[in-house]
Amino acid sequence: MRRKQIVRELKVAWAIATKDMKIYYLKTPSLMFGILFPFAMFLSFVVGRDMPISRAIPVLVAQTVFFAASSIGPVSIPIERRLQTFDRFLSAPVSLLTVLLGKTIAGFVYGVGISFIPVAIGLAIFGSQITDLVALTMGMGLSAFGFAAMGIMFASLPGQGPGQVLMPLNFVRIPLLFISGVYVAVKDLPSWGQVASAASPLTHTIELIRLGLGGENFFGPAINMAVLTFYLIAFLIAGMRFHIINQKRD
Amino acid sequence: MNNIIMTEGLTKHYGSLVAVNHISMQVKEGEIFGFLGPNGAGKTTTIRMLVGLTTPSEGTATIKGYDIQEELLNVKRCVGVVPETSNLYNELTVGENLRFMAGMYHVPKNERANRITSLLKTFGLTERSGAKFGGLSKGLKRRATIAAALVHRPEILFLDEPTSGLDVMSTRSLRQFLRDLRKTGVTVFFTTHYIEEADQLCNRIAIIVKGRVIAVDTPENLKAIVQGTFVVEVVFTSPVESINLEELETYGKVEVKHNTLWIRVSDVSKSLKALTSFADDHGLEVVSMNTVKPSLEDAFVHLTGVESEVMLMEKERRGGGA
Repeated sequence: MRRKQIVRELKVAWAIATKDMKIYYLKTPSLMFGILFPFAMFLSFVVGRDMPISRAIPVLVAQTVFFAASSIGPVSIPIERRLQTFDRFLSAPVSLLTVLLGKTIAGFVYGVGISFIPVAIGLAIFGSQITDLVALTMGMGLSAFGFAAMGIMFASLPGQGPGQVLMPLNFVRIPLLFISGVYVAVKDLPSWGQVASAASPLTHTIELIRLGLGGENFFGPAINMAVLTFYLIAFLIAGMRFHIINQKRD
Repeated sequence: MNNIIMTEGLTKHYGSLVAVNHISMQVKEGEIFGFLGPNGAGKTTTIRMLVGLTTPSEGTATIKGYDIQEELLNVKRCVGVVPETSNLYNELTVGENLRFMAGMYHVPKNERANRITSLLKTFGLTERSGAKFGGLSKGLKRRATIAAALVHRPEILFLDEPTSGLDVMSTRSLRQFLRDLRKTGVTVFFTTHYIEEADQLCNRIAIIVKGRVIAVDTPENLKAIVQGTFVVEVVFTSPVESINLEELETYGKVEVKHNTLWIRVSDVSKSLKALTSFADDHGLEVVSMNTVKPSLEDAFVHLTGVESEVMLMEKERRGGGA
């Protein structure tokens, strides 16, 4: 009975995810903040610097998975709140967890899909090689899930437009780029920077992706995966709590 | 008939504002129940509490025996909700929206296609099945939203201002649909600010003002509250606005507009005599004279002190609609 119920809820979560894919993947804010923004930031940091392509590709993959996955929730939820379509979920016999899981899956697929592009370009054009498939898969998959959940958590901020959520989210996303070993390797950071980078989920994303594409790893893959799993669960729980608080406030 | 919805002291506070104030009422299975009141009376908040969109501050309510706070998932399974705003997905087609809602309500896969085809037919949307919801007219959007609320065959349908902002034809067909729906055994609970709509459709009406339900009864019984009061309408050949009406006011409340005069009286024959002598005294010629029975509007005004025209004006100013 319990199993049947779980399967039913998962089917609803998938239905919500596919609906979001259809509606929100090509919305302007998703394209702007999910694709253009990380690519533009990447180019502005890489062009003119003496960064080998083998180091640049993991940076681009990590950045795209980070920005793309975390953008879908903050685009879809405020729009749905404004158009009152979010009420459809709340008046249907499904749990809030199922709704948020569906929205997280939509972010996850977007993050993995977009970040696969630089991986494919690296492999096809620049001679990148996958040296650790598990690390690469976990680096992209676990991170995409975690960052999608982070986006859902931010989407609980009151506001009826994507801009009202994406702006505060960027205040967190952009500083994370500088403490997470994206442009400066963790081993080259000062000691306080290394402590900060250990606490950043993005550090562990880039670490796993680098390892997967033949680069070096500072903390070790087991720690990377543990930290990413911790953040995934923490973001999901916090997102749930914040959305429940919002609902009670209504 | 059993009570399918029961509320006991249902209350909602927003800070110091009491939006819904200790509502206790019962809705019988299979009836059309109207919630009639001016803008801001607490109609929408009551529906939102009953369907789990907002949490009550105090009190309890059950739907089909399920507590709205303790057994919310069971409540949601047996109700359909049509909000004031037609809230399907603009980017999806009508058919896609209905399929999505069928999935949300766990409608068995092998039944979905038949149910959707039948709903599209019932609401005259078969031809529009492939059209994007966002491109439909207000009336069609409203129909599609109601169809989506019925896809899981709910036993109770909640509608918030279902005809607000619709043209005459759409309004008429929607009202007819609600009458037909009742014949299938579905309980309909709807809010409205249109008094004549409540009068035409409802088996029973609750009148709500400032968060409080001040009367719940059949339209006939509500009208009986003002029984014994008649409105005599007299049309003269010339305007009567400038004439002193004091002598008529001893018979009842008088209203005039151009060359028409209305007087609310309890004794029609006495007032007719007085009106005839009033016309003679002022050299007026009577074109027509009618006696009108008290309406639900008279009962509403009597009970609430809110003129119905004021309700409509408020609503129009707010720009209600789909």
